[in-house]
Amino acid sequence: MRLTGGQGGIILCLVPLPEGGYVPKATQYKTNSVIFFQGDAGDKIFILKAGKVLLKSNDIETKEEINELVAAGEFFGVKSALGRYPRDETARVLADSDVLVFTVPEFEQLVLSNTRIIMKMLKVFSNQLRRMVSKVQNLMSKGVNKDAEAGLFGIGEYYYNNHRYKQAQHALTRYLAHYPNGKFQSQASDLAGKASQGVGGSPSDESASMASGSNLEAPSGVAAGADAKGFLEAVALVTQEKYLDAFKIFQKIVSTNSDPDHAAQAEFEMGRCLVFLTQFDEAIKQLTGLITKYPKHPDLKDALFFIGKAYQGKGDATWAKNFFNKILSLASEDEPVSVKTRKALKELEAKA
Amino acid sequence: MTMDLSIFNRFAITKKGGDIIFCEYEPGDAFYLIQSGQVKIVKIVGELEKTLDILNPGEFFGEMALLEEAPRSATTIALTDLKLLEFNRANFEVLMQGQPQIVLNLLKLFSKRIYDQKRRFMILNFGDDHQARVADVFLMLEENQTRTGDAEDVTRVFANSIEDIANWAGLSVQKVTEVLKQFVNQRRVELNQGKIVVKNINDFTRLVKSKRQE
Repeated sequence: MRLTGGQGGIILCLVPLPEGGYVPKATQYKTNSVIFFQGDAGDKIFILKAGKVLLKSNDIETKEEINELVAAGEFFGVKSALGRYPRDETARVLADSDVLVFTVPEFEQLVLSNTRIIMKMLKVFSNQLRRMVSKVQNLMSKGVNKDAEAGLFGIGEYYYNNHRYKQAQHALTRYLAHYPNGKFQSQASDLAGKASQGVGGSPSDESASMASGSNLEAPSGVAAGADAKGFLEAVALVTQEKYLDAFKIFQKIVSTNSDPDHAAQAEFEMGRCLVFLTQFDEAIKQLTGLITKYPKHPDLKDALFFIGKAYQGKGDATWAKNFFNKILSLASEDEPVSVKTRKALKELEAKA
Repeated sequence: MTMDLSIFNRFAITKKGGDIIFCEYEPGDAFYLIQSGQVKIVKIVGELEKTLDILNPGEFFGEMALLEEAPRSATTIALTDLKLLEFNRANFEVLMQGQPQIVLNLLKLFSKRIYDQKRRFMILNFGDDHQARVADVFLMLEENQTRTGDAEDVTRVFANSIEDIANWAGLSVQKVTEVLKQFVNQRRVELNQGKIVVKNINDFTRLVKSKRQE
């Protein structure tokens, strides 16, 4: 068996077809026909019996074209059919070919009677998986490249620092078992000792709460996500001009205040809704309060814009202009807020 | 998994909730099949423990270590008390002979994981383009959904949490919320009863495709 180059490597050379296993009749494909296209949903597995088939794909990193020739007796289309995902490559017939086509259950029947094939495929797949995982890890932790020893010690240290003594103790004990004379040996035994004291009495040991299954994520993370959905739901209501409904949700997010970021954003959104609801005085109060409370609010310029809009709504052109001009002095010319401010100023001048 | 696994009782082990089964970077020579309980797979990235997955009875973990000499790529923690079957290179052959179907399931799992990792790579490869990352997460989730109903309907409803999306996109919950807010304001996305509604999935396909060609 060989593993062909590139990322596809879906070609697996078959040891002679087993006796007794299900073997379908060969399907004939003409030169230049296509057995499947990249991106097709695929539930069939193929073996090239005779002929010439080319698999064309693109490297996911370099986007370079990869061409792999299927040799007679080799499987193709295995991974996408078994994993139920779209085809990675296009299979083009270069010369009239005979191809055996299996459904997944037929394929299973075939390989269960010849477990050596499964083992060979497992090796090829595990190798590919390993390579993909390391590519992903390179992207996720650019530049961070820990050796295994420092990495394992780091895990124990992380749990210790986060008062999760049970996990710290486990990780550090393993470090000491794998690296009895390692460079972090004395630190590891010191921390492991301290962690074992922590395991007994500390309420912050999370094994109890984990056992109940109630603590799948850090509590703040859950709150942030749940809040985020409520927040987005309200933003969607604004786009549908359901300002009052949106206002109520934003108000609730502010009063619960489980996530400060969302609460701050919701306060701004409340002011915006009030402008749309033509509650101009309330809007001015809300947004002025916001600016005082959060002088570095990410929506500061937009808050000023809506204060200006509220004054405009009240018929107070002078104050509206003051606010609009303030925005233009703060924002660069091509920011969206500048564009809409200039438009609002033009409107005011046209009326005057 | 409905098959009778009693012949493997000698490979059974138990763990208490909170126990670490193995640590990232540890050399690994065993893989596990969950009989009862739940396992959390985590990775410490920077100063944060990120949950990669939560596994249930019938699922495998640690399988990559079986066939190659390489360190563990993640840490696994018992979420609840656990019953596991532990297999290593030495007794893998027993499993193969006794239950080739399980090994075939492993092969399927590998196929799926290779694809998941590949998709993850494609998503992360958008780098600072957070809109493209989030849009591509929805396309990936769509690829994993079995579609029923009207083929003409371009609306897609996702029950996933924002943490899910953030996890796949490799972004913080805050960043993802920001992007979703942009999408909501562009009327590309709606939120309805806690579900995320993508109004036209083809629009995201076009967005991602054009960004990928850049």
